[in-house]
Amino acid sequence: MGKKLMTGNDALALGALHAGVKVVAGYPGTPSTGAIATLLTMNPPGVHVEWSVNEKVAFEVAAGAAWAGQRAMCTMKMAGVNVAFDSLISIAYSGIVGGLVIYVADDPGVSAGMAEQDSRGFAIMSDLPMLDPSSPDEIYRLTQVAFDLSEKTGSPVFVRLVTANCSSYAVVNVNDDPPVRPERKPVLLHDINKFTKAGSAICMTQHRDLIARLQKAGQWIAEAGLNPLRLGKAGGLGIVVGGMVDSYLEEGFEIASGFGFNLSDTSLLQLKAVHPFPTEQVQTLLHHCKTILVLEELEPYIERGIYVEAHRSGYRGRIVGKLDGVFERVGEYGVSHVVKGIGAALDLQIPADLFQGKSDAEKLAAARPITVCAGCPHRGTFMAINAAIKKAGFKKDDVMVTGDIGCTILGMNPPFNTVSTEVSMGASLGLAQGYVHGGVKTPVIATIGDSTFYHAGIPGLLNAIQHQTPLTLVILDNGWTAMTGMQVNPGTCEQFQQSGDARLDIAKIVPALGIDQFWIVNPFDLDETTKVIQNAIKLPGVKVVLAREECTMPARRRGLEAGEVRVVAENCNLCKLCVIITGCPAITLGEDSIVIDNDLCYGCGLCAATCNLDAILVEGATV
Amino acid sequence: MTDTLQNREHKTPITYDIYLVGVGGQGILTIGELIAEAAFRKGIPVSFYPTKGMAQRGGFVKAQLRLGRATIGPAIPEKGADMVIATEVSEALKAVRYIKPGGDFVLFGHVWAPTAVMLGKAPYPTLDQVLGAARNALSAGGRVHYIAEESLPVFEGSPVPDNIFTLAVALNQTRLGELLPAADVEQAVRTRWKRGIERNAFAFEAGLKAQASGAVAT
Repeated sequence: MGKKLMTGNDALALGALHAGVKVVAGYPGTPSTGAIATLLTMNPPGVHVEWSVNEKVAFEVAAGAAWAGQRAMCTMKMAGVNVAFDSLISIAYSGIVGGLVIYVADDPGVSAGMAEQDSRGFAIMSDLPMLDPSSPDEIYRLTQVAFDLSEKTGSPVFVRLVTANCSSYAVVNVNDDPPVRPERKPVLLHDINKFTKAGSAICMTQHRDLIARLQKAGQWIAEAGLNPLRLGKAGGLGIVVGGMVDSYLEEGFEIASGFGFNLSDTSLLQLKAVHPFPTEQVQTLLHHCKTILVLEELEPYIERGIYVEAHRSGYRGRIVGKLDGVFERVGEYGVSHVVKGIGAALDLQIPADLFQGKSDAEKLAAARPITVCAGCPHRGTFMAINAAIKKAGFKKDDVMVTGDIGCTILGMNPPFNTVSTEVSMGASLGLAQGYVHGGVKTPVIATIGDSTFYHAGIPGLLNAIQHQTPLTLVILDNGWTAMTGMQVNPGTCEQFQQSGDARLDIAKIVPALGIDQFWIVNPFDLDETTKVIQNAIKLPGVKVVLAREECTMPARRRGLEAGEVRVVAENCNLCKLCVIITGCPAITLGEDSIVIDNDLCYGCGLCAATCNLDAILVEGATV
Repeated sequence: MTDTLQNREHKTPITYDIYLVGVGGQGILTIGELIAEAAFRKGIPVSFYPTKGMAQRGGFVKAQLRLGRATIGPAIPEKGADMVIATEVSEALKAVRYIKPGGDFVLFGHVWAPTAVMLGKAPYPTLDQVLGAARNALSAGGRVHYIAEESLPVFEGSPVPDNIFTLAVALNQTRLGELLPAADVEQAVRTRWKRGIERNAFAFEAGLKAQASGAVAT
């Protein structure tokens, strides 16, 4: 064993490799992205690793490999399970042949945006086992255990991480000499009773098999001792802890000890396998303890299970958690929750302000709405949409511009305030059609990024074409899945595609759908982009504008510059128009003129397009 | 299966928690990574939890660094940080509730004004407000270490990297230096980048001497 400092995502990737994974597929989503990013960097021989077009496809790729008898894994953030779930529950019913691990990262406390949903609910709904490790070291070990559990029970197995453990670094004990596993020959089973859902008999038999597999998984988990239970004093406090919160116990116990808490009196059940519910262990705890404290982030799934068992056993003690109002269902847990819970369960006098810092200071902090990077091509598109709406004779508030997931949503923030909705991958298109059918007479515009278009935007576009719903779709194509840190997608240029992969081109896809009202523009050319959008929104039918220019981040890394921008100080009267319209972080106000930070500036020239005093010059464009 | 609390002896380790805040692009995460790397190489248990949010550059960034405890959750409780390192004046306010009374608050006084502030449409806190809030939360025994941006030493004609300088100041001015000798961190600084070794080493050395040169006000 060697010690390495790594994130939980790295640990999961390494654990899967050391378990002999053969196929890994996923879609980028903070905070889960790091796992596949790490594997792509490692490029392990004999292992197929891919960014799939969306989570449903990723899941199916991994499941197909598992049906062929291999060990496979798919990765996604919690929102991705919503996308994959149609196939996921069906394959849960079928069971698998090899080993299949579904890695999902939840985001309690919402550091990355989207619903604060608790994926443990998906494990319950699909009757699949779920492991919920705490530290990166535990992630490394339990990922390997997950493959064993999957193969022993014929069931896909969830590994659930949260932002705090998948994106934080800690010391991991890594097996320096992982077992060399023989190559498995793929198997081809032709069993419609297992692999199809054709008919009631098949489906109901599969449902029974599914429930039996989960029960078997529960036995395997108990025999493997995944959920340690220690009994303290009879009639004392019993703590049940799930997932990430476990790592805060030791520190919380030390603090609570100063207020009368006694660890050796306390019973403790640490749930590493949160599903199936550990009925026997909970019954043991209920018979032993007078008070039960449940420490789990987000939804009270464990707690509700304990209430059921308490009812079955006629338990008369207290259960402290969310359902009695001690904790809320929102946000991340930490040390303070452990201490507060112990205080509530044992009626200890722990000062309320022990962990309450002064929050009044924060109210003085300047608001810092996030905006697009200096040199981001989306800046030009948002500016052009705003200008086009105005030039077409509409007020901004009279026109609906729906938004989508990814960097393109930054158009919601100042100075653009262009897009008004953010729902889920691809939703900009369906929502736009709904506004039209809902009676909106002004132009309706949908905006979407390239990766989101491939992911779930295409069906929405097909729907608009079939029903001839008048709308203007603006595809902001920067060639990368950028918000999650520059992953390669189907449209990324050839040189960055994996060896043997092909590049797709939105410019060929859209006309192939029969759309003849189609324009390609360079968003750094503000006048032309504005003219095209202004024209498009006035026309009937489905119109598509492809605003295409590469994301500035990867372009810069290759030494590219769009051009060189220079301030002519004597022409500048500090009217601030460039700052007001572009909001570009590279521009600051100097004494007598604006100042452009040459390190930040990419030379896109959009600021020059806003200047009516010739105070900003663009030279030598190379793009 | 688990190595956590079931069979462990209790002993109080030497622990040290650092809460870092700044704006994306300032190198605040690099400060955390360098300390984490040096601590790891020295065999000190470390947990490092960077949070970048959605912003590639120009957004609020924080990181939580916890040294000395093998089993630990990555989030520092409010009033729990032995030290705050802030590299932007306004963002420093977001760390105030995490500082432990009696701790150290290191502030590099860079102002990165959001657009609305630049246009005069939104307020920005004064330095006195920020330092006052920090002192108030630190209470007796705590210390503020303020590094004015103008005091950055110059190497070959331009100011040295502020994050490396700030890191060295923090090591020299606080108890962190007792847990983690400056030489170990300097080693991490020297081996991290292939280019600019001399420049970074100069920044680091200057930071260690900053109190004497008057670059740091407490």
